[in-house]
Parts: sequence; structure tokens; C-alpha cells
Amino acid sequence: MKNIERFAVTEDQLRALVAEGLKDGGDWCDLYFEDTVYNDFLLRDSEVSSAGYHVDRGCGIRVLKGEKTGYAYAESTAYEDLVRAARTAASIASVASAKAQPPFRSMSSAQVRPNDCYPVRLSWDSFDCGGFAPFLKGIEAGIRSRESRTLKVIAMLSWSMSEILMYNSLGELTTDSRPLGSISVQAVFRQGGRTEMVNVSRSLRTGAELICPEVAEDLISRAVGGVDRLFEARRPKGGQMPVVMGAGASGILLHEAMGHAFEADFNRKGQSVFAGKTGTRICRKGINIIDDGTLPASRGSCNYDDEGVPGQKTYMVTDGILTSYLHDRISAWSCGVPPTGNGRRESFRYNPIPRMRATYMESGCDGSLDDLIASVRQGIFVDQFANGQVKIGEGDFTFYVKSGALIENGRLTMPVKDINIIGNGPQALADIEAVAGDLRIDESTWTCGKEQSVAVSCGIPSVLIGRLTVGGE
Amino acid sequence: MISNSETEIVSRALQTALDAGAQKARITYSKSDEELVATLNGEVDKVTRCTDRSLSIALFADGHYGSFSTNNVEPAALDAFIRKAVDIVRKIAPDPCRDLPDPQRCCHDALTGLELGLTDPARESVTPEQRIRAALDASVFNRRNELPGGCTLISEEGEYSDSIYETLLMDSNGLCCRHSETSFDYGVETTVEAGGEKYSGYWWDSSSHAADGDHSRCGREALRKAAAQIGSEPAGSGRYNMVVDSEVASKLVSPLLHALNAFSLQQNNSFLTGSLGKKMFPEGMTLMDFPRIPGQTCSKYFDSEGVATADAPIIEEGVVREYFVNSYMSLKMGVAPTVEAATRPKLMPWKGSGMRHDGILRLCGDGILVTDFNGGNCNQATGDFSYGIEGFLFRNGEIVRPVSGMLVTGNFLKLWDGLIAAGDDARPCMSKLIPTVGFAGVDFSG
Repeated sequence: MKNIERFAVTEDQLRALVAEGLKDGGDWCDLYFEDTVYNDFLLRDSEVSSAGYHVDRGCGIRVLKGEKTGYAYAESTAYEDLVRAARTAASIASVASAKAQPPFRSMSSAQVRPNDCYPVRLSWDSFDCGGFAPFLKGIEAGIRSRESRTLKVIAMLSWSMSEILMYNSLGELTTDSRPLGSISVQAVFRQGGRTEMVNVSRSLRTGAELICPEVAEDLISRAVGGVDRLFEARRPKGGQMPVVMGAGASGILLHEAMGHAFEADFNRKGQSVFAGKTGTRICRKGINIIDDGTLPASRGSCNYDDEGVPGQKTYMVTDGILTSYLHDRISAWSCGVPPTGNGRRESFRYNPIPRMRATYMESGCDGSLDDLIASVRQGIFVDQFANGQVKIGEGDFTFYVKSGALIENGRLTMPVKDINIIGNGPQALADIEAVAGDLRIDESTWTCGKEQSVAVSCGIPSVLIGRLTVGGE
Repeated sequence: MISNSETEIVSRALQTALDAGAQKARITYSKSDEELVATLNGEVDKVTRCTDRSLSIALFADGHYGSFSTNNVEPAALDAFIRKAVDIVRKIAPDPCRDLPDPQRCCHDALTGLELGLTDPARESVTPEQRIRAALDASVFNRRNELPGGCTLISEEGEYSDSIYETLLMDSNGLCCRHSETSFDYGVETTVEAGGEKYSGYWWDSSSHAADGDHSRCGREALRKAAAQIGSEPAGSGRYNMVVDSEVASKLVSPLLHALNAFSLQQNNSFLTGSLGKKMFPEGMTLMDFPRIPGQTCSKYFDSEGVATADAPIIEEGVVREYFVNSYMSLKMGVAPTVEAATRPKLMPWKGSGMRHDGILRLCGDGILVTDFNGGNCNQATGDFSYGIEGFLFRNGEIVRPVSGMLVTGNFLKLWDGLIAAGDDARPCMSKLIPTVGFAGVDFSG
């Protein structure tokens, strides 16, 4: 079914709705139709005995007057409900008119060629939901067979398909069909009187081919892989020290330390610690940092962002120089540059704002992870994380370490876990002393919570940061 | 209000579920309406209207269970949705522990949703102009005389919203209960610059009645908090007494409540496993749940299963008195059911009756006052935690200087064992009534 039919609107009605939105003098109007179906199956106590099925459908209408936003949505696509929402959004024009401001204009994005980032080989709809149980049970069996200390396993498979239709006052009509499949596993282990818990996950924008032995094996091996270290782990002595961050999930460093501060709404408002620093050196030569919406099947990828702009690969840092912020249409207009395809939103209930996609650093040429560890006399190695946060103005970021180890005289020694690490974004970037050649994109279920929840991913090669503050005793 | 026709939709959906083959079902219909005005630097930046509805259905069919939701309540679509849901449920494994709660335990006194007095009829007459005025009143951007010396105001973002949220819960045992609550919310975030560094501050206020909020204070407080952090730096690693301001102290109670939830306990993923009836915390620590106080934000007569809430001790004089056990976990664990979660927990004052954080600082003498957390987490299985913090170094009960870029690390059982005092200054606008608390001997890194 074509998306315009799915939402039971005609192109004439789309044009009429935009006209309604602009009636009070708005500069720009866009429509975002969404029809999302979400399914989940949960294994608990060795049975897949809980299922969910959720439908969310509606249309968000945005009107811009200069940089000011009017936004409303309808949870139905009945034309009269949409007209009502358009009229509410239109009211921004009269509210914002008290002070003269230049009219908002957005460039057409027609010259940017869209990608196909969602390689679906097996439709989720074609997969009988009864078939999910053996897959989830197989994961539990695999964990139990390899790790006798296993106490409990919870495994969840979820998938969603979002059908999107976008239309704007440039007359651009865009559609997208976005799949997202995720498998999350939580395993609890006991040794003596002590329990420890491991979470692993895998999330990709593919079809039901995600349900395969290779993915099951990956989850099982990661769930049991660090159990010995987990029971040996201790809290380190806290303080400032060199930190080696392993390839992959350590991309959280880029997300928290600089990614948010590069989102151009914070820069448009002057709040970011990186505001006004375009064209300046922020880290050593040779470092390239990218936010990419074009990686095939990546959780953070998008054929189009939620403003109808094609997903793109954006170099934020090129050879150590800050080269681009991450723009939605408003910030791009404000800065006089083309939008970068970073205007994203959680659902039709939210107006789009600049958000990251898949954020990573390109491989460097400072050897391997072992070389980086060998270069540290007293420090810490970290490779698994739970969550992070940043204060945009101050640039202070944190991330929570689930696993790592002390580095003593160039060798890994005592395992560590459950510590927070804190640093300052500009300082941490400037303190990157070495970048290995082992870039890996992490495929876990990363979700960014800046005002709205949005699926993202991250990656990094192993890096050595000269000094961060590590929590401890 | 949820209309008679919407109530009829819910009744019909319940019957459709039973007709489609479910033996039991529960439907929760939620509806909300929110109007929001955001400001940037003393001007209106965004106006938004959000109107939501959602129908959630829990199905129990031939021993199988599933939970489903849709926002499309058009009759034909809803009918097809429910029939598909029953079909999905039948394809998964049966679970004999899934059942509706015993009707005897359910709420039978929330007939209109207005019983708690949380709905302000004045919201219906708030005009768009009044919303804009309310949002701008919270701003101090254009009142530069309030700006502390030595700093530049970079930006001020404010948000005013008023909303109404309503719930109707019905189940196939004949249960029908309602909840209705209005909310008037303000929040301001301010960024200032001094000496080439930026500092931010945030303040918010919320009330269920328009007349009860103090929104004009938000801009001033946000600016004061941002300016107070100017020149902050780490205080140096070491062991300090820690005072946590009531604004953020719930961060230290949430992990306890999570660990007392049967979903964590049943999975052996709780540092409070086996703690019921045992003294796990210091004698002075009493955490109550007061879910039914009229007029207080977040009070509620029933949980998501429709089970009636009641005043109850969670931790009494240091002894764990309650696990949060819903119907499912009750049957799975073979223990008596309670409620699924605390509704409005309150940490009772201890050695700090009538005290705000100034008094607690004096009691603690020297240490670090935490006014905000920056990231971090808690390991639910062990109780180990590590959080980023900012706040102030204090000596002899007096603030000395601001600190930031520090981490506090420990274990929750050990932390609470070092409780020095709990004050009496919990903010009534918060869902958890946790006052300023002081602890002895906490590890800081910085």
C-alpha cells in the first residue's frame, strides 16, 4: 500500500493543510504522518509467555515563523482533525509577529541523493510469531550450557515498522518505511552468595533475518564472555588517570563528550561549549569524527530524517578541525548552510530537533589496542557501558562503566566495574593521545534521551585519553 | 473529561475481547490534553498542543497472556485490533500465574476520578494569552538588573504548560475506576558565562491547581543556580560527609524502591533479596507510602491493575516492611500480593525535624553539598553505585565554594547506614517526598 493511501489523504488535501497552516502568516509548514506497529515477545523463566502488540498512528503539523515554532498533532488522520491541528500550529505566526524577524526559508533537499539503509530480506510480517519462541529459548539454553553459574535469563525480541509520509510547503512529498528489530538479553549469575547481572543486545534496521544463529551466538558469547571478570571485579582507587577506551561501545565518549554539544540547536542558542568554534582545532591532527545516517542497517541510520531531508554522512571533525554542526532545517537556515539530515523526532507527537544518528571516529594509525595499553603505566581500560549524560553548557560529561580493568605497567590487571567516569568535552577531545586502527560500530540498543527518545548507534576505534576522572574508593 | 461515548467504547472493547475468546481482560483508557508555551530569551519560541488517547488491553485467554495498546479507537479498527491481539496471545506459551487481581483488593472508591481533588476546573478557561503571559512571567531575561555581577547571560529557555490527564480502568470482573488530574508546570534553564566558562541552572515548579504554583520564581532560581556555580572545580578525591539537597535526593531512594519490586526480586536481581522483615537500614530511617492525600500531586487511589492503594510503611525504623508485589509476581513467588509500586513515598524526618538543608549542613559540619547529579547508575544486583555530581564544599555548616567534575561512589546499603539526618523540606510538587539528607564518610573522586 502506498503511504498516501495508508493515511487516506490526497495530494490536494496535503496542499490544503499546508495552506491552512500558513494562513496566519507562517513562513513554513510541514506535515509528518506516522503509522507504527510495534511487537514484542518476552522470555522469562524459560517460557515465552508474554507478548505485546501496539499501534500508534497520527500526524504532526509544524508551522515556523522565523525561528519560532507552532506545533500540534492529531491521533487520527481524519481530514477535519488535521485541519484543527493545522490551525493550532498556525497560531505561532500571530504570537511571534510582535517582533520583526527574517522569514524562515529552507533549501530544497532534492539535490541530495537518498540511500536505502534498510536491507530487509525477510519481512517481519511474514514470520510467524510462534517461531520467535525457539529462537529466544535457544539463547537461554546457550547461556545456561556455557555458564553453570546462570541463575535467571530474560530475553526480549521486539520489532517495529514505521510507515512515514512527509509533505512540506516546498511541495516535497517524501515517504519512508522504517524497520527496527531488537533483541535484548539480561542474565543473572550467582557465585557463592554473590549475584551479578549482564545485559547484552543487538538492534538493526533489518527484517526478520535478524532471527538467525549468528546473532544468537553473538548474544550468548557476549553474555557469558565476561562472567569471570565480573566476579573478580573490584572498585579501583578513584581519581584522575589515563583511560584506554576499547573499540565499539566506547563510542559513547563521542556521543556524550561532543555529539550533543555539536547539535546545532544548542549552538544556535549559544549554549554549547563548542558554540562559535567552527573552523578551529579541537583535537589533534588526523582525527576525523562523523555522524552518519547512511550505514546499512544501522540503528541510527535513516533514508530520510524526520523533516524529509535525505540521510547523510556528516564530518563534524576533519583532521582535528571542527567542520560542521548537526543541523535540522531551522538551525541550518540560521547558520546559512544546508540541513545535514539530523532533524529527528521520537514520533509524530514531537517537533523535530537536531539529533545524532550513528556517531563514530575513523580508525587512526597509532597501532592496536595492545599498543595503547602497553603505553600506559598507571591507568584504566574500559569497554562496556550502561549510560551517559552531558551538561551542554559546561561540557561536563559522564558515562557509567560496566566492565574494564586496571592498567599497571602496560598490562591489564584487576577487573573493575560499576564506576562512573567524568570529563569535560573539549578537554577530553584535546587529551586524545592515540587512536588505534580498529574502528568498530557497536550494534547494541542505544537510545538517546535528549527531550525525546531516538534510536542511535555509536562506534570508535580504541583510543587513549590522557586524563579523565574515574570514580572509586 | 472522558465522555460517555468513550466509556461505551471501553465497555464494548472489553466485550469484544471476551467474544473473541479471552476469558478475562482489563482495559485502561487514558486521555490527556496539554497546552505548552516555550520561551527563549524572553520571547515566545514555541506553542504546542498535545492531545493524546490510548487504549491498553491486558488479555487472558486459555492461560495465555499479552498486553496490547492502540490509539486508533475507531470501532472497526479497534475490533480488528482486539481480534488480532487474541490471536497473538494464543500462539505463546501459557502462564498459569497470570490473572486479574482479586476483586476484594481492588479499588471501589474512585468512581468519578475527582475524589482526590486533583482536578482544577480553572484549566478549562485558561486562554492562549494567559498561557503566554504565564510563560513570560517566569522569565527574567529582560530584567538584567537581576544578573549577578561578573557574568553574562547567554540564554534562558522557559516552558509553561497546563494539562489534564484522565484514566478509566475497567476489567471483566466488573471493576471500574477513574483518575483525573490537572497539572500546571513551569521550568526555566539558564546559561551564563563567566571567565570564558559556561554554567547552567534549572528550576521548575508544578502543581495540580493553578493558584498553588510559584512560577515567577523559576527564572530567578535558575539564574541564581547557574551563577552560584561560577568558578566551580573539583574539591579533590577523598572521603567526605555528603548532604544531598531535597531537589535531587530522590535519586538515592529510587534504587531502593526498584530493589524492593518483585520483578527484581524474582529475578534475583536485587540487592534487597531476602530483606523483608529484616533490619537493613539505620534505626532512624522510615520510608512511608502516602498515596491517598487529597490535593497532592501524584496521589492515586489505584495502581495499574486497579488494586487499591493504602498508606503503608515501606521501611520502618530501618526494617523492610513491604515488597511491591503485583498479582502476577504474587502467584509466581508464592507470596501475598501488595501493590505494584510505591505511589507517593515519603522519607520521614530524622534528627532533622523542621530542618531545611542549612540545618542539615550544620549538623554535618564539613563536607560536600550535592545540588545536582550528572549521570551515573546503580547495579541493582549489588547496590553499588557511582554518580557524577555538582554542588558546594562546606565547612562548619557554611558554604565555602562551588564544586563540579566530581564523582560519588559507594554501595547503597553502606551509604544509608551512614545516615546522619533527614530534614523536613521535601518539595510537595515532586512525586517522591524526599527531604535533604546527610550521610557520613562517602567516597568522592575529583
